[in-house]
Amino acid sequence: MGKKIGVFVCHCGTNISATVDVEKVAEETKKNNPGVSYTTTYKYMCSDPGQKLLRDKIKEEGLTGVVIAACSPKMHEHTFRNAAIKSGLNPYHVEISNIREQCSWVHPDKPVGTEKSTDLVRMMTEKVRKDKSLKPIKVHVTKRALIIGGGIAGIQAALDIADGGHEVIMVEREASIGGHMAQLSETFPTLDCSQCIMTPKMVEAAQHDNITMHTWSEIESITGYLGNFDVKIRKKARSVDLDLCTGCSSCWQVCPCKKIKSEFDMGLANRTAIYIPFPQAIPSKPVIDRENCILFKDARKKNIKPNDSKVCRKCIDACPIAPVKAIDYNQEDEIIDVKVGAIIVATGFRELEDGLYGEYGGGKYEDVITGMQFERLASASGPTDGKIKRPSDGKEPEIVVFIQCVGSRDPSKGCSYCSKTCCMYTAKHTMLYKHKVHHGHAFVFYIDIRCAGKGYEEFSQRAIEEEGATYLRGRVSRVYKKGDKLIVLGADTLTGSVVEIEADMVVLASAMKAQDDAEQFAQKLSIQYDKDKFFSEMHPKLKPVESSSAGIFLAGTCQGPKDIPETVAQAGAAASKVLALLSSDELEREPVVARVDRQLPPVFSTCIGCFYCQKVCPYSAIESEDIKARDGSVIKTVARVNEGLCQGCGLCAATCRSKSIELDGFNDEQIYAEINAVEFN
Amino acid sequence: MIEALRKKAEELLRSNTVDVIYGYGEGSTPERTRPVFITKPEDVNKLIWNKYCVYNLTTYLKRQESRKLGKPAIVVKGCDAKTIVVLIKESQIKREDVYILGVTCNGVGEPLATKCKACDVNTPRIYDDLIGEKIENKEIPFDERYAELDEYEKLSEKEKWDFWQKQFAKCIKCYACSSICPLCFCDRCIVDKNQPQWIDPSAHPRGNLSWNVTRAYHLAGRCINCEECQRVCPADIPLNLLNKKLAKETEKNFNYRSGYNIDDELAMATYKEDDNQDFIK
Repeated sequence: MGKKIGVFVCHCGTNISATVDVEKVAEETKKNNPGVSYTTTYKYMCSDPGQKLLRDKIKEEGLTGVVIAACSPKMHEHTFRNAAIKSGLNPYHVEISNIREQCSWVHPDKPVGTEKSTDLVRMMTEKVRKDKSLKPIKVHVTKRALIIGGGIAGIQAALDIADGGHEVIMVEREASIGGHMAQLSETFPTLDCSQCIMTPKMVEAAQHDNITMHTWSEIESITGYLGNFDVKIRKKARSVDLDLCTGCSSCWQVCPCKKIKSEFDMGLANRTAIYIPFPQAIPSKPVIDRENCILFKDARKKNIKPNDSKVCRKCIDACPIAPVKAIDYNQEDEIIDVKVGAIIVATGFRELEDGLYGEYGGGKYEDVITGMQFERLASASGPTDGKIKRPSDGKEPEIVVFIQCVGSRDPSKGCSYCSKTCCMYTAKHTMLYKHKVHHGHAFVFYIDIRCAGKGYEEFSQRAIEEEGATYLRGRVSRVYKKGDKLIVLGADTLTGSVVEIEADMVVLASAMKAQDDAEQFAQKLSIQYDKDKFFSEMHPKLKPVESSSAGIFLAGTCQGPKDIPETVAQAGAAASKVLALLSSDELEREPVVARVDRQLPPVFSTCIGCFYCQKVCPYSAIESEDIKARDGSVIKTVARVNEGLCQGCGLCAATCRSKSIELDGFNDEQIYAEINAVEFN
Repeated sequence: MIEALRKKAEELLRSNTVDVIYGYGEGSTPERTRPVFITKPEDVNKLIWNKYCVYNLTTYLKRQESRKLGKPAIVVKGCDAKTIVVLIKESQIKREDVYILGVTCNGVGEPLATKCKACDVNTPRIYDDLIGEKIENKEIPFDERYAELDEYEKLSEKEKWDFWQKQFAKCIKCYACSSICPLCFCDRCIVDKNQPQWIDPSAHPRGNLSWNVTRAYHLAGRCINCEECQRVCPADIPLNLLNKKLAKETEKNFNYRSGYNIDDELAMATYKEDDNQDFIK
């Protein structure tokens, strides 16, 4: 039986009707397409009356297929399909013919736009004829979340989900959680101590019944799909048994390797080979840096097991735990498997590398430091106990020059974007400096001051007006050394003069960059990333915390530069999405999935099992299946699609040479009908 | 060399290492050979090897009729051996399920086949046993390997189009090209699919074009240039020109030669970040 098709052409205000004669499209469609029993136009189909019109006409006219000629299906396919459900029509008999984005908007010539719209509508009416009813796929949900990254974003999201009553697995690759926020001195715009607000959260996360923490661990692999991810976590060999160790400090006090640059202190202080990154670390238990420990170096050289090396055993000897010591040199990486229903990626950022700005002496002069290094200098728990001392000779710097936009907004250095936080933290730095060195003078070179945010503008004004920082609008061309001074050559574009400042210390407001391994990591998770390797959100406005893969969410600076309040807000948003997802036992998902053909014996399937589909599938959704005889012998090995994993991209269907894969909702007959509708007209 | 081949074949059959030998046998005239399938050790004298052993026996690896005979040992030249590599990469056979009797070869055909003119696989790159004196494989520069395309590539786009229109007009849709092709192994070819009918079955210009272009595309990045399609074409369509051109583009853009190294990832099924994308316009 043929279908009774209704065609609804939307004006979209004047978005469509200005360049497309919608009445004519409706008229032509009715005239030339047998089977189209009803056509109409409407000002805004997506509006409530528009949807009512659709619902009513489906019933009144007994429509069994619907074409909505309107905007992109990305916008309102969902809306109209839902409206159809309410009138008892299977939603997969509703198709959108997009006559807006690539039609009315791009063809100013009305007759051309009208003709193209008529063609597009005809294509869709032909497709609708071939549409079959599809049923949503139900998937089970594992009520557990994985948080990757233990910075403020990860911690906040973990706490929110855990407080919501769900289990959380947290993975942090460093030896302690805390991330960058734990390294900061004070935070803008209130100047409260970063650690004072951070450490209680760290402790809360560590002690939460619902949170399991894996520090010094990395994600080995993630497979599975929304609601059912299988995660392999590599617990890197810490060389210390976390259950036995009490964090008594005996070991690191005796460690002879004392000249290793501390990553936490941004290289401004040293640490030992067995160490905890900072006093408030969680867990407050050490790790052995196997690269630098002399025992491990010796073992590598002699190619023996570390425990057999006798070069240095000071830490294990000092360990008071008995009878089994808490230190285990032979400990190996361990892989653990967990199942989770949702994932939040909160892997953070890294600071722009030092040496990139040779002209500023970054990485060359000790007293040219980065913003993060200044944070450590200003931090009460930092290497100078919060006293501002320059790294080269420990003198109190009397003139400090702050250079903004180092890396940021500089496409030639590979970051065209604004790092968003530097204007504020530089203003903060000048204040912290002035609070500690009252007679000192701070100069700031800036391009623009971008301090949008609650209390932000007032904060930066305070730096200038109350704290007396001198802001110079212009770029610095060069920093060079003269005696024990740093000469900063720059321009003040407001007075049009060249400025030369004899500074004691220079602070570079270095850009926020994506983590070095962001690209590989995104590929491991099958999520998209942008040109700067920050992970991409699904929609910049309407889906800001969703990644491109269902069930994987983003929080914090891994998605783009942002400050602490914004990070915390985003982490909370991601957590709320996860909580919503974990609130049901089963999820429904779109049945637009690929299917490998199955036939009666003796053919079984036209699939020949070359598995090109498996190789091209970006979602690892293709499995192999042995078709067996009753005696268990394999008759044929063919491909099979895992419905849960399949995202309906259609790559497999396009790759299959024998055309043995069909994509439900976009099957060969539907596509063929569309093509024929344009070709034979 | 023939003696060595027969001796090895007999040994393989007697030891039950394999159930059948796919080899070349005498044809109806001295300059003809035909495939033989030897299952009894006493029949190994039917095996021959000479310069007329032009064709690629690996096509029988896909045939149900020959598969029924059990585990094969197959006589392959260096060029034919490349097919086996592709068949393994495409999950059609397992390496351990085929015994490769590689023969060293100085070229076949009278006159010499085109495929032999720039041969760099006189000794197969994969085999279980090598029959004949090992020949050191030469390195042949890229341009020389694709020299047969020189004339064709000089044509303008329109001339190329006209050329193929003329060639494809001769096609009688006998599908000999796909029957002989060892890499056309689908049970159901796209031409057999009729819901919808992607390729017109009749031999008119449109159906001919879509068949021949689809056939060539389906071999892009896979064809090992054994030239069997061209050899069997009753209409003398220079099919290998298409295949060779696609092979050249694949090598130029993705540095991939089909069947050459068993560890190479299949060019058409692998995305690499440094893949050349200049041709996407």
